[in-house]
Parts: sequence; C-alpha cells; structure tokens
Amino acid sequence: MDVEKETLRQMNCEFNPLSRCDGSVMYSQGATGLIGAVLGPIEVKTQNLSIDGSYLECNYRPKAGLPQVIDRIREAAIRDVLELALLSEAHPRSKMSVQIQELEDRGSIDACAVNCACLAMLIGGLPLKYSFAAVHAIINEQGEYVLDPDQSETQHQRASFTFAFDSVEGNLLLVKTKGSFKIAQFNDIECLCRAASAEIFQFYRSQVAKYHGRSEATAKNET
Amino acid sequence: MSATNTIVMPGERIAAIEELAKSKRVILGPGLRRLDDTVVASKAGPLRHKEPGTFWVDNYQRRYIPARGDLILGIVRAKSGDIYRVDIGAADTASISYLAFEAATKKNRPDLIPGDLIYARVLNASADIEPELVCVNSVGKRGKLGVLTEGFFFKCSLNLGRMLLRENCPVLAALTREMPYEIAVGVNGRIWVKAHSLKETVALANAISALEQSGCAEIDKICGNLGDYLQT
Repeated sequence: MDVEKETLRQMNCEFNPLSRCDGSVMYSQGATGLIGAVLGPIEVKTQNLSIDGSYLECNYRPKAGLPQVIDRIREAAIRDVLELALLSEAHPRSKMSVQIQELEDRGSIDACAVNCACLAMLIGGLPLKYSFAAVHAIINEQGEYVLDPDQSETQHQRASFTFAFDSVEGNLLLVKTKGSFKIAQFNDIECLCRAASAEIFQFYRSQVAKYHGRSEATAKNET
Repeated sequence: MSATNTIVMPGERIAAIEELAKSKRVILGPGLRRLDDTVVASKAGPLRHKEPGTFWVDNYQRRYIPARGDLILGIVRAKSGDIYRVDIGAADTASISYLAFEAATKKNRPDLIPGDLIYARVLNASADIEPELVCVNSVGKRGKLGVLTEGFFFKCSLNLGRMLLRENCPVLAALTREMPYEIAVGVNGRIWVKAHSLKETVALANAISALEQSGCAEIDKICGNLGDYLQT
C-alpha cells in the first residue's frame, strides 16, 4: 500500500481554560482547534428524565453563525460515540451536557471534535466505560493514503474516512466514509488509523498525568 | 494515604486490586467499579490507596456527588410543605425536614427563608433518590451545624475544599497567624468565611481563592505569603 503520510499532526491541549463549567479543554491537532466543555451530572428536564440512565446532550457550535446541517451531522456523530462510552447508569435521573466550540477548521475536524469531547469528559470526571479516539485519513488523487491530512491536502481527494476506536478492546465506535474506494483500501486505512489511535491514547494519558502532577507533589509532601 | 504514580484511564483493569481482594476486604472508592470479577477504572487520574484496603481515583472535579456523612454548605431555595429545598451544587436539590434542626418541634419551626446559607450533614445519598440533609447529630444537638449568618460565601473546586479539610493542611494555620476568623468548608466545594471586618473577610476569601489557581506543590510557599493577599 502507498502511504503518503502516516503520522498525526502535532497535538496540544490545555485543561480547564473556562471557569464556569465542570471540565473544559482547548484541544488542537495541527492548525485545527476546538474548545470542549462538559457539565454533569446536572438537573434534567422532566421530559428527558430517565430512571435508569443519564440523559446525554451534545452541542456543536461552528466558528461563526448558527449550526448548519453539516454541524448537526457532526454533533450527532459525537453524541453517538459519547453515548457508547458514557457509563450512564452511574448517574440516573441526571443530564450530562457536552459543548464543543469550533475555533479553526483546517482539516480533520470530525476526528478532532471527537477527541476534544473525550478529553473534556476525562477532565470533567464523568464516568466512562473507556476512552476513545478518532482518526481521519484520506485517499488522494494518486491513490495514496494520507493520515490526518491538513486542509490543503484534502482539496483533491478520492475518498475520506473517519474512524473512532475504544481504548480497551480497540472496537470500532464510528465509521464515516465519503467517496469511492475498494474494500481492500478501506481495510488498509482502518489498520493505519488503528495504529494512530494508540498514539492519541498515549497523548491522553500523558496529558492527564501532567495535569495531576501538581497535586501529586503535595500528596507526597504530606505523607 | 499513599501516593502512587500510576495514572489510570477509564476502562483500565487494575489487577493489583483484584489480587489484593482475594486475601482481604477491599473498598472501591470513586472512579473504580466492579465488572463481574474484575476491577475497572471509570475516571482518569492517579490511583490512590489507603491502608488497609481502600482505593480510589483522584481527579480534579468541580461537580459534587453527594455521599452519606459529608459536611456540606447549601443554600435554601424554597420551602415546600414540611421540607426545605436546598441547593448543594449536585445534580439534584437536597431536602431538609424542618424537624432536622436543634430544638425544632412541630409548633416551633426553624425560621429559614430562601437564600439562607446552611452548614449541614448529608444523611442519605443515593443516585436514585434526592439527597437528604440534617442539621443535628444523632442526639439532637446542633454542634457546629446550622444557619450561617453574615460572613462571605464563595465556591471553589472540590479538591481545594478537601485539601483545606485535611488534618495536616498548612493553609488554615497560616491564616490563623494573621488574624482571627471563622470558616466553614463544605466538601461540595463551597466555603464560608467571616472575620471581624468586611475588609478582612474579603481579603481572607481572596487568599483562599488564590490557592485554587496555584499548583498544590507550591502550597507551602504560598502559605508563607498569605499575609500579602490579606494586605490588598
């Protein structure tokens, strides 16, 4: 298989940039950036109340203007993944609210939004069954695979793929494809993305460790 | 409390606890759950252990999850029938019976109005029912619980609240050296302070809030400089 680029763009994140929500994160992957915020568990409207699980609400806001159809589709995709990962029975009769605000879309926004949502959940302390990571890849005009492409690289593409994986068994949580491709190519790209998701999980872990490093030091002083 | 450097992520199996559970009783705290015969984490953060067999996942959280026996600060929201509704910062409002105050009888009701701040104990907490509070201990005495008047109230993260409540926490001692004051810290991340003058009270609140932004590692250093915050 021809692989043009098989590395992810540089990932960066900052925890709790917002003060009023329960957990927030500013996440960037290359030039694509988003802010994610979670609230939960919070009070739920009676119409959405469920006695055996929490209600999950997800909002995606584009950079400017009101959410369009494409934003709604993205929102639904994030919600579907979150719904699978959230340990909803831990907090019945409550609501978990996730807000994603796009800051800059320079390619792979679908995957970045999912990763941003996951980091926000991790830092907000919401119970999860597993963490998850999404990876975007395309097949360019020459039929080569490009992992996590920048916007300039996506101008001429034959097909684009977004996969989301869970951290425990590596199961597929989300598949989103566009364009024409062969089944063999699909399988190749899935393997490529799966390998890249391991890097994202490593990134999650190192960021969480870094964030808790501060409190770690005191705990040691006191014992 | 022992601090280990292991960071656990949601879904991670913790074999060390399973191993220990074979020989003795193990208590799983927040962030850990049992899945059939395995112990699995549900939150991300450092795994903590306290002798003999208590484990939990520490994480920086701002939303309070009620637990039985917690001491919390709540704001009276409404009065309905024989209970008051109290906002404690959790998913649900809590309820407190008007008989759950010292020397309260059916004839002699406590005089609480919406907006009052109370320091109470969680009597009953479960995910499926709304939490219930009391302002008396088991022999009907109020102790330090009850309505808090005057003073200044502010919110912080749950970690800051818990840190202040630790027995060996240097913060309150450092503040005591500067001025006399009263403080009530709720594990729901709410703090009430009161000093002699309004100015001192606000300075005290600023000094405590300053700890929030700084990393916990610098606490000892900051405690030395707490006087500076009080001057402003």
